[in-house]
Amino acid sequence: MTGPRDNVELDGLLRACVGCGLCLPHCATYLVTGNETLSPRGRLLLFGEVLHGRLPAAAPDVTRPFDLCLGCFACTAACPSGADAVLIRQLKDLGAATRARRCDPLALLDRGAALRALRRVGHVAASVLGQTLGMHWRRRLDGQPLVARVARLLGTVPAAPPTDRALERLIEQLIAKSGLPAASPLPAASGASARAGARVGWFRGCADAALLPSTAGRLRRLLVELGCEIVDPNGQDCCGAIATHAGRAGRVRSLRRRNLAAFAPELASCDHVVVAAAGCGLELRDYPAELSTRVVDAVVLLERLAPAGLGAVPLKVAVHDPCHARHGQGIVAEPRRLLGRIPGLQLVEPAEAEVCCGSAGVYGVRHAALSREIGLRKARVLVATGCDLVVTTNPGCLGQIADSLAIIAPTVPVLPLTDLLWYAWRTGSRAPRSRNTLTDT
Amino acid sequence: MAGADLVKDLKREVGTSAVLVDPASLTVYARDASHQAYGRPLCVVLPETPEALRRVVAACARHRRPFVVRGGGTGLSGGALPADGAVVIATSRLQRLDPVDPDRRRVRVEPGVLNEAVSRHAASCGLYFAPDPSSQAAATIGGNVAENAGGPHCLKVGVTAQHVRRLEWIDPQGRLWSTGRGGALDRGIGLRGLLCGSEGTLGVVASAELDLLPLAEATVTLLAEFPRLSDATRAVVDLMTSGVLPEACEIVDRVMLEAVEAAFRFGFATDVDAVMICEVAGRAPAAAEDAARAERLLQAAGARRVRAARDADERARLWQCRKRAFGAVGRLAPAYVAIDVVVPLGELTGLVEDIAAIKAEHRVEIATVFHAGDGNLHPGVHYDDRDADLIARAQSAADAIVLGALARGGSCTGEHGVGLEKRHLVHRQLDRTSLRLMQGIKDLFDPDDLCNPGKALPRRELAAAAAITAQVPGEVSFRWDSLTVTAPARTPLAELQAEAATRGLWIPLGAASRSRAVGPGLGGALTVGDVIEAGTSGPSLLGHLWPADAVLELWAGTGDGEILRAGAPVLKNVAGYDLVRLIVGSGGILARPLAATLQLKPAPECVELWTWSDVPGAFTAEERRDFVRVLRSHPQPAVVVRERAASGPSLWVAAAGRDREWDLGRLGADLAAWSEDHGLAQPVAVRRTGAALASPALLADLPAWAVASADWTLLTPRDRQPDWPRPRRLIWQSRPVMLWTPEIVAEEPVGWFADGIFRDGRLQLPPQPAAGVPLPLLAGLKRLFDPQGRLPCPDWLKRHLEAAAA
Repeated sequence: MTGPRDNVELDGLLRACVGCGLCLPHCATYLVTGNETLSPRGRLLLFGEVLHGRLPAAAPDVTRPFDLCLGCFACTAACPSGADAVLIRQLKDLGAATRARRCDPLALLDRGAALRALRRVGHVAASVLGQTLGMHWRRRLDGQPLVARVARLLGTVPAAPPTDRALERLIEQLIAKSGLPAASPLPAASGASARAGARVGWFRGCADAALLPSTAGRLRRLLVELGCEIVDPNGQDCCGAIATHAGRAGRVRSLRRRNLAAFAPELASCDHVVVAAAGCGLELRDYPAELSTRVVDAVVLLERLAPAGLGAVPLKVAVHDPCHARHGQGIVAEPRRLLGRIPGLQLVEPAEAEVCCGSAGVYGVRHAALSREIGLRKARVLVATGCDLVVTTNPGCLGQIADSLAIIAPTVPVLPLTDLLWYAWRTGSRAPRSRNTLTDT
Repeated sequence: MAGADLVKDLKREVGTSAVLVDPASLTVYARDASHQAYGRPLCVVLPETPEALRRVVAACARHRRPFVVRGGGTGLSGGALPADGAVVIATSRLQRLDPVDPDRRRVRVEPGVLNEAVSRHAASCGLYFAPDPSSQAAATIGGNVAENAGGPHCLKVGVTAQHVRRLEWIDPQGRLWSTGRGGALDRGIGLRGLLCGSEGTLGVVASAELDLLPLAEATVTLLAEFPRLSDATRAVVDLMTSGVLPEACEIVDRVMLEAVEAAFRFGFATDVDAVMICEVAGRAPAAAEDAARAERLLQAAGARRVRAARDADERARLWQCRKRAFGAVGRLAPAYVAIDVVVPLGELTGLVEDIAAIKAEHRVEIATVFHAGDGNLHPGVHYDDRDADLIARAQSAADAIVLGALARGGSCTGEHGVGLEKRHLVHRQLDRTSLRLMQGIKDLFDPDDLCNPGKALPRRELAAAAAITAQVPGEVSFRWDSLTVTAPARTPLAELQAEAATRGLWIPLGAASRSRAVGPGLGGALTVGDVIEAGTSGPSLLGHLWPADAVLELWAGTGDGEILRAGAPVLKNVAGYDLVRLIVGSGGILARPLAATLQLKPAPECVELWTWSDVPGAFTAEERRDFVRVLRSHPQPAVVVRERAASGPSLWVAAAGRDREWDLGRLGADLAAWSEDHGLAQPVAVRRTGAALASPALLADLPAWAVASADWTLLTPRDRQPDWPRPRRLIWQSRPVMLWTPEIVAEEPVGWFADGIFRDGRLQLPPQPAAGVPLPLLAGLKRLFDPQGRLPCPDWLKRHLEAAAA
């Protein structure tokens, strides 16, 4: 698994694990299987055994737990002893290396064209699966290995409302149904005003651009109205997260080079580079400092911009934190504070909030059955909050949760958090009165 | 391959995917949180239902294959490690959590449910599960029961055994049993107490019915910095004997503080020798006053600074730091021996000095966290498993600490269990008779030695060589600094209570009345021996404890005249099987009590009795519901008695609390409002403050006997039973006294109460135990303790013994 040169260092890292087991209830693969071999402590233990030559590195039963690691980092957040990110990243790389040894067409998913095609097929398939076959058959077929794999592939394609009007209708219907007391908007004077003139580099993100183009558009317009100047360099490509997950180091390097080149002329004048998808955000933090230090998650930026005078959204809303935001970047309070600015909105916290939803890049396709179980567990805890709506900030999570909710509670939708915020802004007192400024462009 | 047939059988029982045989899994399941190595399992089984669990155990028994049950693998004594070739049965899929019963404050859970999940589940009803081992985020209820887990917040309300009401369990032959009906007064041979803390060597928990406690109205958490550790340990004794009863009282020493601060950056001072965390809770004014009292006390004892956690968030972070302290040790050393000694509170400072000397002598690093209020210390002796010399020094330092604690009258383990780790030390603590009986119990329950073999008890040759014989104390002796009193069985409880009352303390069993005329059950006529045999102190059980919880140490004589000493004079103890809980309340069937060490607690400051005469013979459902609601909305335990006398039915409520203005005043106002709402005359209230508990007058008016519960379960008839009480629930037809209890199963005949009856100050043994109780095992216990049949024996047991002999 590793060269002898690294062994001393790795052995030292491994010794940080005292085996206390506090990571177990945070690990999605352990929670749904009950199998400790698929827990962080189990993986570290196996890692040590391999390192000391007591287990064969190439045996399938040894590599499988690493392959099945979601790379969600929930264990690092839970670990009290500092068997921390470095080590877990090592494990993740190990999993990626295992995956890279196989020829894997799924790794090509980081191309915009492929994603756009997938989206089109996905919409058709989703409507066929969801409506023609009906929910009953959907549920039954979902358990079949082959069908499950296809369903996962297509199911993970996010389906946020394509138009502003559709989004508005969706939220209005939810409000009409929810029965929470209508709240009057806060006075427009409350809250800091937007910091005018911030120059913000726009990182497109292939999944966001291809799968959620209208969501991305709404976010851009929102930022502009909050006073930001948007710079959108040409020549951008995928951040490399999917390639990283698939263990394709060469591809990662070339993508980085390309993105750095695209941003190079603009970086000096940009205050921030904003990223909508948490997965991209974490990947960009590994870029050279001139880019990585400027990276800011869209939710964090919006929270700093402190949008005031938002319209009322009297709904019970549960937030699902993408692992790459919560554990990878420590973004937990910001989305909650941001939603707290929306009058009438009641925030509910699900149990197991720190646990992965099972999307994890191409995991849902590769390990369809396990990913499905993890997704259903997540949907159950979300629904248990009694929420009217779930919001999240990563396209992968969005698709996975949409897919799982469709089976557990088809009436509970999931939306990108920025879409909900856009709606509150749109209906608030500070939004430009002319409707035209906010309609689809 | 040996065991292939069993693996095939297991796959048939639970499905192929629930049986793991791959080398990677076997490697993982051969380890737990204890840093120990034992054996390599044959396979790992993941049953999904209690019935599947039973079938797995039965299959192991059929194939005579050892097995071990594993919960979260968070144990620190090696309790979940498999013997070579054993089957590991993991409970991780047994996750069922029944709805909370808010009336009875109960919940039934499967063994794989996480400790923390129970409290989360109960929070919506304003309840929580008290035991909170530091591993609670990952530890399971099954494991908690097996180890009799404690935790910081067990100081005031007791460890797991005190909060488990009933177990469904599987014996090592694969038969499903229960421990009784789980009623408020469930007594007899203490099977439930025996199983709690038996480290999975006597059977397997299939489900547990747990008691839940109401969340406190207000909580204050103090953080005190002590430049000197010895000042901190002395402050604990000051605090615990001052009348303040904290929810938790913890100390973290300097070495541990540095690790914790490095890991979690809470903002602990690292230039002091110790930080104390002291939490008080209750009614808001009471908590505030207790906190102020504690703060003054800690400052006087030498604290440099005392501050309160700002808000719930900071409190939660503080406890996170404390509870994850052992994990943080990973930053200091790759491994540690986690020690778990307990000493009487008064010995705490002395033991800390011993540890400092041992640390210097053995040249090791030791970081200590204390459940200081319990006298329970967790010194962690650091080592590196690549350094053989250091390992040896760490091990001998650890043993020296344990022997030091034993020399001070302590126990080698308070909550972690003996496991593998302390098997070589138990015989230095327990006497020969106890060891013989414990081994006898193991042989009785598990004749083939299949159920978690090689744990909890010393090796037979060590046990045989044990040198300690029990010496029965002949005199009463109070240890005020340790909050205990040791007394011979013949000592009247009232005498002890009167003496304790002079210091504002009491033995939380019944009210202290000097008057024998008051009658049995009020503590007045009872001796220490009566209390132990009966297992209940009668009607005025105003504290939180049952005798089994208040008795820390017990000297008893078996049927063949041997003398055993069960337990230790410490607040927590899980060394060997819990013979105290087995014997207390068994009515002298197994052994005659000779002497006991009882726990002292701060006495309630005030007692009040409300009396109604001419109440209706039967309340309406609405009256009943409101009445129960009033009582349940107050935290104090109360005694409720209804009597149907010739002069007309009457009703009594007695309650004890801290202060009339805060506690009893509000209860009294609510009871008055209830009377008014339902057109009853206002109750006559009598109250006593100050030396209330030494006064015989207050409770003298109570009927001659009655039964009450500290947990309200007697007060909450189920809705399907419309009348409250119904005539058929009269227990004593000869007297016009009524007892209401939902725990009498409605289907059972009138006048029959299997949980035990008090008459003329003596326990009447149940006509027969509840269904599901393992009669063959109870009979076996009787034979083990009383082979010649010289002690009392109830008819049902006699019948069973005769049948077995025939």
